[in-house]
Amino acid sequence: MVLVLALGDLHIPHRAPDLPAKFKSMLVPGKIQHIICTGNLCIKQEVHDYLKSLCPDMHVTRGEYDEDARYPETKTLTIGQFKLGLCHGHQVIPWGDLDSLAMLQRQLDVDILVTGHTHQFKAYKHEGGVVINPGSATGAYSSITYDVNPSFVLMDIDALRVVVYVYELIDGEVKVDKIDFKKTATAHSAH
Amino acid sequence: MMKARVPEWLNSTLWSSKSPPVDERLHQCSPKSSTPTISAAEPPRVEPPLPQPPPKLIIQEPSTPQMTDPRGDDHRNSPSSLTEDISRQTQLLAELSKKTIDMHELRRLASQGIPDGVGIRPTIWKLLLEYLPNDRGLWASELANKRSQYKNFKEELLVNPSEVTRRIEKSAGIENNESCEGSGLLPRSEITHGEHPLSLGKTSIWNQFFQDTEIIEQIDRDVRRTHPDMHFFSGDSSFANSNQEALRNILILFAKLNPGIRYVQGMNEVLAPLFYVFKNDSDEKNAASAEADAFFCFVELLSGFRDHFCQQLDNSVVGIRSTITKLSQLLKEHDEELWRHLEVTSKVNPQFYAFRWITLLLTQEFNFADSLHIWDTLLSDPEGPQDTLLRICCAMLILIRRRLLAGDFTSNLKLLQNYPSTNISHLLYVADKLRVKSTR
Repeated sequence: MVLVLALGDLHIPHRAPDLPAKFKSMLVPGKIQHIICTGNLCIKQEVHDYLKSLCPDMHVTRGEYDEDARYPETKTLTIGQFKLGLCHGHQVIPWGDLDSLAMLQRQLDVDILVTGHTHQFKAYKHEGGVVINPGSATGAYSSITYDVNPSFVLMDIDALRVVVYVYELIDGEVKVDKIDFKKTATAHSAH
Repeated sequence: MMKARVPEWLNSTLWSSKSPPVDERLHQCSPKSSTPTISAAEPPRVEPPLPQPPPKLIIQEPSTPQMTDPRGDDHRNSPSSLTEDISRQTQLLAELSKKTIDMHELRRLASQGIPDGVGIRPTIWKLLLEYLPNDRGLWASELANKRSQYKNFKEELLVNPSEVTRRIEKSAGIENNESCEGSGLLPRSEITHGEHPLSLGKTSIWNQFFQDTEIIEQIDRDVRRTHPDMHFFSGDSSFANSNQEALRNILILFAKLNPGIRYVQGMNEVLAPLFYVFKNDSDEKNAASAEADAFFCFVELLSGFRDHFCQQLDNSVVGIRSTITKLSQLLKEHDEELWRHLEVTSKVNPQFYAFRWITLLLTQEFNFADSLHIWDTLLSDPEGPQDTLLRICCAMLILIRRRLLAGDFTSNLKLLQNYPSTNISHLLYVADKLRVKSTR
C-alpha cells in the first residue's frame, strides 16, 4: 500500500498565491510515501520545500516557467509493480493529445504516464497503459483557458492494482472520486 | 534452620567473600548455576552473561535422569531436597494426567516451582491463567475455538485500508475490471462515505490507520529492544524475526482491542516470558499456535495489572502509587527497622525502585530463567499475582537488609536498581514465610 501524490502546475506566485486552504488541510506529512510533480511550481524555495516537508521522496520535472533550471525534462520511477513516467507536457505537441502522449509513454516504457500543462484533470487508458493529468493544484489559469478547478491526484499502489483518488475543488467544496485500475500480470508486448 | 548438606564446591572461595552470616536470612550466597543447567534444557536460548561460576563446576554434579536441575537441591535452604523435587515433579505429572484437574492442588504444587526440563510449564501456565479449563476433555475444543478467534482478530484488525476497501468492494459486488484493454477515458466512480486516504474524519479507516501507525512504531521499537541478549528474541536469524513479528502482532492487537489503555512501554517485557514458554512447548502443535495462546494469556495476566499502566489512575486507589504504598506498609510490618532506614533516614522513595519491580512483574530484575521460576509462584497464587508479588518484593528488600542498613541514599538506590542476583528458591521461601507471618 503505497500512497503517491501527483500534482503540478501550481504557478506560485505568478498566477496563484498558494494552494487552496482545503487542500492544504488535507495534505499532512506522514501519510504519503512519494510525491511526483509535473512542473511549473515556479518559485523553488517555498513550494519545493513545502512539498518536501510532506514527503522526503519528491520528483519534479521541468515546466516551461519553472525558475529552477536543474529539473529534468522527464523522469521515470518504479513503485511496486508499476513503472511511472513523469513529464510536464509542454514538450508534447499537440498539447494534451492522447496519441502523442501515448508515443511519449512508449518512449519512456512506463505503465502510468503523468503529465500536466493543460491544467485539466484527465485520465486516459489505452493499450499501453494509463495517462493521468492531475490538473492544476492551485487552479491557475492555463495558456488555453481561465476556467480551471484546482485538482490533484493521489494514487494508492497495491501490488498489481492502482486506485486513483481524484481530489477536485468545485465551488469551494472538495470532491473526491476514484478510479480503479489493474495491471495485467504479463508484460505488454508493445515494448 | 540449616541446610541439609553443603557440598564441597559450594564452600569454595569462588563464591562470596563474605563471612558466613549469623542470621540465615542474610545469606548472600548467589549460586548462578541455575542458568547453565536450564540453558542446557532449552537450546535455542543464548546464556545471558554470567558474572561468576564457570559452568564446568556444575556439570560435575551428577544429574539424575529425571531431575534436570541439580541446582535446586543442594543449596536450597528450605528443607526440600532432591527427593522432594522428584516427588513434586511426579505429583505434577500425575495431576496433569487426570481427567479433571484439581486446580487448588495444582496451584499448591506449582507455587513451589515447576521443574524445567520436563516440558510441563506451558501447560501448567495455561491452566493457571485459566486459558485451559480444568476438564481435560474440553481442551481440544477450547484451544481450537480460541485459536480461530485469534486468527479472525488478525484478519480483521491487522489489514491496511487498501485491503479493507478492496474487500468492501468485493462484497458489494462492484468489480471494476479495468485492465489494459481498449482505450478511452477511464470511468470515474464515486467513493463511499468519503473514504479516501487523506480523509480527516474520525470514522475514516484511513485516518484511524494513520493514527495507529504511531503506536505501531512504538511497539516496533520496543519489540526490537526486548531481551537483546537472547537469540530467541533478537538477532538477525529468521527465527528471531518471526518471534519478534509474533510479539508485534500480539501487542498491536491488544492496543487495538483496548483503546482505553493502548500500548504502554513495558508491556513487551510482560509478554516476553509468556511467549517464550509457549513457543518452547515440546508439543509441536502447541508451539505453532504459541502466538494465539500467548495473546489470550497476556490479556488475562494483564487484566489484574491494567491499572498500573494507566497514567490517569496513578494516584487513585487502584493505581501504581497505591500499590507501592502497600509494599511500603508490608515492609514496615515485617521489618520496621529496615523500613525506617530506607524511607526516613536514607530517603529512598520506593517509587525509584519498586515501580519497575511491580509493573514489569520482576522480569527485569533477574535473569530470564530465574524470572520464569518467580512467575511460577506468581501465577499460581489463587487470588491473583499481586499479593505474592508484593511479598516477593518485600522479601527482596529483607534479604539484602544488611547492605541496605549500611548504605546511604546513593548506594542503596544503586543497589536496589541493580538488584544483586540471589538464590531464587531462597527468595521465594522467604516470601512465603512472610505470608504465614502476616496471617498471624
